[in-house]
Amino acid sequence: MKTLHDIRLLFWRKMMETLRNPIFIIISMSTPIIYLVLFSPLLKKLTGVPSFSSGNVLNTFIPGLLVIVAFLSGLFVGYTMIDEVKTGVVERFRVTPVSRFALLAGRVLRDLVNTLVVIIFFALIAIPFGFHIHLLGFLVLLVLLSLLLITTSSFGNALGLILKDEDRLSPIVQGINLPVLLLSGMLLPMSLAPTWLQVIAHFNPAYYAVEAGRLLAAGHIFEAKVGEAFLFMVPLTIIVVVWATKAFNNAVS
Amino acid sequence: MAQPVVLTKNLKKFFPSKKGVIKAVNGINLSVESGEVFGFLGPNGAGKTTTLRMLATLMTPDGGLATVAGFDVVKQPGEVRRHIGYVGQSGGSDRPATGLENLVLQGRLYGMSYQEAKKRANELVKLLQLSDFAQRIVYTYSGGQRRRLDVALGIMHRPDVLFLDEPTTGLDPQNRANLWVQIQKLRDSGVTIFLTTHYLEEADALSDRLAIIDQGKIVAEGTPQVLKEEVGQDCITIGLENQKEKAQKLVALLKEKSFIRSITEQPEHLNLYVKKAAGSLPQILQMMGQQNIKLQAITITKPTLDDVFLQKTGYSLRDKDADEELQK
Repeated sequence: MKTLHDIRLLFWRKMMETLRNPIFIIISMSTPIIYLVLFSPLLKKLTGVPSFSSGNVLNTFIPGLLVIVAFLSGLFVGYTMIDEVKTGVVERFRVTPVSRFALLAGRVLRDLVNTLVVIIFFALIAIPFGFHIHLLGFLVLLVLLSLLLITTSSFGNALGLILKDEDRLSPIVQGINLPVLLLSGMLLPMSLAPTWLQVIAHFNPAYYAVEAGRLLAAGHIFEAKVGEAFLFMVPLTIIVVVWATKAFNNAVS
Repeated sequence: MAQPVVLTKNLKKFFPSKKGVIKAVNGINLSVESGEVFGFLGPNGAGKTTTLRMLATLMTPDGGLATVAGFDVVKQPGEVRRHIGYVGQSGGSDRPATGLENLVLQGRLYGMSYQEAKKRANELVKLLQLSDFAQRIVYTYSGGQRRRLDVALGIMHRPDVLFLDEPTTGLDPQNRANLWVQIQKLRDSGVTIFLTTHYLEEADALSDRLAIIDQGKIVAEGTPQVLKEEVGQDCITIGLENQKEKAQKLVALLKEKSFIRSITEQPEHLNLYVKKAAGSLPQILQMMGQQNIKLQAITITKPTLDDVFLQKTGYSLRDKDADEELQK
């Protein structure tokens, strides 16, 4: 009960920031739109290429893009965290009797709400471009994307808390960003890749989400790859959240 | 007598480093009574903040015991947190929110209802004179305004003890003076305050009692008045450039005199601490004459905490501060 109360208070603290400055949401909406306008036309010619779904190219591309939006929205939250470490906000909260889990969860939930808003908005925008949404499949996809976002946002927050310095955070998140993006199969399906690349991709949470996302968007919910994605994401989410909560408990600044 | 609000026994904290272990806090015994302002004076790196962070449950001690409000900081961190207020060096107010929102959230995190928190926040806005800016976003605050909000956040839930870590560092003299007034006001309203500082004047002006810490150990403890009087009632400073040998002979002779409480030798001058300057000055001048020492300068002052510091540690806190300023 108390933890829920704390989470609610800390969620609204962060949510107020967003509502005061909605410009950040608008900026994060622009990234997928840039992909849609400047990259997706290139895919039109690929219709019929093996491994691309035979039907609509956008139905292959958009779910992957949604996965990357969820992944990156979480990964980069460490910067705000560092700002709050430096201004003593985190320390002030850590001296209160607030539950350590709530310190993390309040932030992650705000990121989750913001990201889901961006993702839903974007899926809707893509419809006139020719993206077909299968409603139930899309809802399951949102659950999967939520798991991914909770994982990356917890990871990003804990990383900021532990490193406490932008110059140390940047190489790590940038170093994660590009390989995850390329190995997710979001730009081109991983089935085009040589075996060794496919093997590496199996360590990438975004890869599972992209594979499952394409099936889910098309309404294929009871597929092995969907189950595989949840089997990979659920334990990973739990592990990362537990680790990040520990970081709030132990952090020394 | 009531139990001390803060009590430490042989408290220790060590940090590993490339050159071996740094004994940041090396066996500290402290007790802070309810209702007093306790000052913790020492140079940067002496172990003040580390001690405070252990008392505020932000760091685990490596040895010894510490209780705050009667609770063990290691075994009962939750209870300790409920009973303390803490204002760290970087403050802690949330920049994108207004001052009032900061205060209300702080109250609610300690379990107050919205109405209670609002009421208490308004009380503090009045007490610490925040009304001109409480409705504004903290980003727009000046350094002094933000510090006052930080302090208000620290006492929102009426803690048994308020820890202030270097509260006036980085403030200009006017804002420093203002914050001193606010801290005195808090003391008058019954708040127990434990503050660290490396400013001698601050420790002197604010503390009912203080401890001087150097290299992880407490070197002196008492009221500012008593500590200064222990050094001597008056301090006679004699400038003696380039007369080192003669000066040493003089010191040896002076040490035998009963009117001399203590002597500290500096490269260019001597500090003689005496009971009454007027009574002892003629004798000192006479002795200097006998030793053929040329008097270059002489001043008579009341001992300050720096004199206490100098005597206990062998170096001057004021000089050390000045050196650090220059290095910046």
